[in-house]
Amino acid sequence: MDSRAPSIAAIGVLGRHNNPLHISLFPSTTLDPATAQPVPQEHRDKLDYAFKLNSCLDIFEARMPSKSIGHDFGLLHALDERIAMYGWLLNTGVKLVIVVDMEGAPVKAGSAAATGLGLRGGDLTPAFQALQTAYIRLLRNPFYVPDEHDPKLAVDRKGSLQIMSPRFTKEVERIGKAWYPGIPAI
Amino acid sequence: MATATTSKASRMGEEIWKTRVDKISAEVLTLTYGTLVAQLCRDLTLPNTASQTDYLAVNAELDRMGYAIGLRLIEDFLAKSQNTGHCSNFREVAEVISKVGFKMFLNVVPEVRGWQGPPAGEEGAGGPVAFSLVLEENPLAEFVELPDDGRAQDELWYSNVLCGVLRGALEMVQMQVEARFTSDVLRGHESTEMRVTLVRYLQDELPADDD
Repeated sequence: MDSRAPSIAAIGVLGRHNNPLHISLFPSTTLDPATAQPVPQEHRDKLDYAFKLNSCLDIFEARMPSKSIGHDFGLLHALDERIAMYGWLLNTGVKLVIVVDMEGAPVKAGSAAATGLGLRGGDLTPAFQALQTAYIRLLRNPFYVPDEHDPKLAVDRKGSLQIMSPRFTKEVERIGKAWYPGIPAI
Repeated sequence: MATATTSKASRMGEEIWKTRVDKISAEVLTLTYGTLVAQLCRDLTLPNTASQTDYLAVNAELDRMGYAIGLRLIEDFLAKSQNTGHCSNFREVAEVISKVGFKMFLNVVPEVRGWQGPPAGEEGAGGPVAFSLVLEENPLAEFVELPDDGRAQDELWYSNVLCGVLRGALEMVQMQVEARFTSDVLRGHESTEMRVTLVRYLQDELPADDD
């Protein structure tokens, strides 16, 4: 088998009250020999990843008291050799979680991962930063009311509290696809 | 002649923007206006419904607010652009609105396009006189995504306050105009465009044509 590089498997945005705000999944990819473009390889199960993201919440909780400054929680936990989860906590209590598949993508020619060293601490920072920027953009939209996405505050609960904004969804999609280890900025 | 007016107007716009205008953070303006529109959308609902926004009413309300702003704003505009003199024709009006007015208050310069009407100086000859203002950048609508309820995209003109402002301001200088948006990037169109049509010059006090 070819050598594989890490890629993002899923991005989760979790609200202050641990409610899921947004979950995006990214299938692992392989190179199409004909066009040399990445094509989806294996599908990721939505429920499975919802559970995986839920499993991070306790870790956030447990580490919260010892965390005085900074919002980078780094590696939350590694589920197996392939799947590992990283987290950021925003000051408003919103949690960003990125699930990385260590063998999710074909190795890009000339990229740092070709050396097989795995992930360095700061590798995910650009992705988290881009994600935070996307979230800030969403909050600046006057028609997005954060309280309507909060299970404790929402007045008329009409089913899902998830983020419906197409622009935010598209941006998360873009971040998930664009990231590779060592990317300077997204 | 048109080009001379254009460059003179843009120089003046720059000059006024640099020296005579108090500035505030764009974000304050954008978020304030956003809150205002969102609140109107919550308040003005269709009869017999609880949460269906009456977007046509929102448009009308924004226009009305803008009209009230325009009536007052024109005084400030004239004070700051003292040495303009009178505009001798509607084409010049368009140039000044775009290069001085928009520049002064929003720091953007919409492009004047789609001119319709008789040649400069002969507006009295009849026929409709109109132009379009194309906003490359719209400071009011930054960050905005229209609500996804299937109607906002077709009915709401988010920046409609601008139409009212133009209508109000021009009315104070004896020009009755009709201003409305014809396209908006928020709705997925390629550009944000306003159409301004001259209805008539108000009679009581014609601007003296002295140059």
